[in-house]
Amino acid sequence: MRDNALWIILQRLRIPLIVIIVTYTIAILGMVLIPGLDDKGNVYHLSFFDAFYFISYTASTIGFGETPYDFTYPQRLWVLICIYLTVIGWFYAIGALVSIISDKTLKQELMRGRFRRKVQKLKSDFIIILGYNYVHAEVIKKLTTAGIEVVLVDHDADRINFFQLEESSMGVPVMVGNALLTATLEDAGVKSPYCKAVVSHFFKEEKNLRITILTRFLNPNVNVITKATLRDTIISLLDTDIAKVENPFEIFGKRFDIALTAPHILTLENWIYKNSDLADEASFLPQGRYIICGYGRLGKVIKEKLDKHGMDYIIIDEKGIGSRKMIKNETFIRANADDKDVLLDAGIESAVVLVAGTQNDIDNISILITAKKLNPNLYVIARENTMREISIFKSTNANWLFMIERILINKTSLQLSQPLKHAFLKKILHQDEEWGTSLVNLLKVQLGDNPKLLHLTINKNRAYAICHAIEKNESVGLNILLNSLEDWKKYHKAIPLFLKRNGDEFLLPSNEILEVGDQILFACDSESREEIEIIASNVYDLHYVRTGEEKQNWLLRKFFHSIGLDRKSDELL
Amino acid sequence: MNLQKVISGFFFILAMTLNFGFFYGDMGAPEMHSTYELFAAFIISLIATALKIGDKTQIGSVLLATSLVADIQLISAVIVWTVIEYTSSMTSSHMATIISLSGGAFLANITSVILYIGETLKSKR
Repeated sequence: MRDNALWIILQRLRIPLIVIIVTYTIAILGMVLIPGLDDKGNVYHLSFFDAFYFISYTASTIGFGETPYDFTYPQRLWVLICIYLTVIGWFYAIGALVSIISDKTLKQELMRGRFRRKVQKLKSDFIIILGYNYVHAEVIKKLTTAGIEVVLVDHDADRINFFQLEESSMGVPVMVGNALLTATLEDAGVKSPYCKAVVSHFFKEEKNLRITILTRFLNPNVNVITKATLRDTIISLLDTDIAKVENPFEIFGKRFDIALTAPHILTLENWIYKNSDLADEASFLPQGRYIICGYGRLGKVIKEKLDKHGMDYIIIDEKGIGSRKMIKNETFIRANADDKDVLLDAGIESAVVLVAGTQNDIDNISILITAKKLNPNLYVIARENTMREISIFKSTNANWLFMIERILINKTSLQLSQPLKHAFLKKILHQDEEWGTSLVNLLKVQLGDNPKLLHLTINKNRAYAICHAIEKNESVGLNILLNSLEDWKKYHKAIPLFLKRNGDEFLLPSNEILEVGDQILFACDSESREEIEIIASNVYDLHYVRTGEEKQNWLLRKFFHSIGLDRKSDELL
Repeated sequence: MNLQKVISGFFFILAMTLNFGFFYGDMGAPEMHSTYELFAAFIISLIATALKIGDKTQIGSVLLATSLVADIQLISAVIVWTVIEYTSSMTSSHMATIISLSGGAFLANITSVILYIGETLKSKR
């Protein structure tokens, strides 16, 4: 089954080969049998070699002339027949060969073979991406920057070609194929022990479900990261036990909820996603009347959260139908939101927040512009459905953009490439505003508005010195890493945010005793980042920050001791 | 009756019989072995090879292998003959080389035919 391509070529070559053999045979035999005259007028017969030589260059239309002697007329008559016979046979064979090479099935098979070999060669963790769209393009970029291998499959050859023009496509195995088939998933290496996840964000949610179920049976150890917004699909996906479902509306709803109660947590989140820095207060929602345009999936989520917190709101939608209770409470207007009078009716002048959340991007922009004209102080949340209009949305100065694709990109790439940060985020979303404010302030005071993040794993590679100390049963506290290398009694600026050990997670860990395999997330600046890395990996520096003394090489110490320079060398160092 | 079977069987067996026809006779005597017969044996052997190409089954692969062996031996015989013809004169020892090469090809052809018959007998249709 392995080399389908080779068999396809061979099978198609059968007839052309036989045609060449037969035409050559006829021609050669004729040349040998027909008598000729040599330069002295004697009768002679061409040998098989002469005939083969002559036919070879005649059939391939090279034509060196008549050898070894000029031909007689009967010979020339036969040569004439030979020319048409062999040249046609030869051309037919070449044509067949060329058409085999340019054959679609063959190309597909060759590509599949190459793809399979490349995937089999992957000997580090990799992730299968199904479909090349805007979200996946960004995810692939982020994953390859983080040094994680990806494999891409798309059913559209054009999109694969497009991807191959991208910089991030270097060394990425790609294939044109139907991702909904088991064979394709197998080719993409879903059964490999190195395959960590399958990413599938098809617009049609049944496709995502199908892929999840197939993957579940092919390799239950692989996670499927997928998108779903419909309740039934989400439940079926979760039933497979391997799916990580991303529902952008649910995610946004949660953010909206947090923004109403603990906006500093969102500031932290945006900083970790690198969307903005800690000084950003964009997600601080004002108190007052909310106007929601569009009562679809987004509108429903927002209404639910507003109800939860007992806020005042009104919903405008042209097509949707509000419940009886909403109409009775006068919280639902059935009208086109992109209308000045409707907005005035809804009380735009006294409202504080407007949500432009319809399914149509241009409608959203238009609502936004009208509303801003009526009430310039309005806080605007705009929904953007595709990334195509991103520049226009940016210039409209919406306070908070809800971008389905951006949410999917951030969420997917963070949980695949930086699981520690993702775990930290999950943890802080449950904290309250007080906690959030104090952490944001602490970070801002210590490290400025945009601190860096450092992920340190206690293993031989990243933290040799600490591993070494732990192996000798010395206890190393987390705070050791924070000591300054210039003066061990002082601290440099880093703040440990999160520690993960097997199943345990510590938020803002204090002086925990480190163990091999711990993963720690620090907020730091570039200097303290360097210091942490040096302390963790260099035995001498670790010794210094623990004791305040220089650790000496025992060979050198003996040497200095023997020549009586013991004290001086201490001073020198 | 299967026309494809008739054609391929015909060529496989013809390859063997022609080969035998050339091989049969005094080893050292050039006059007992016709160039035309070698030519025919060689061509038919090539056609038989082409017919065996592209069969993915186990027996198909072995058949192809036997055919390739026969081709290589026959082509060596042809080349040896041509070179001798144009560089020196044919002696009985030269002729013996050519005949023994074709003898090897003959064995390969026998194997091929036996395998072919075996496969045919095995098939229920």
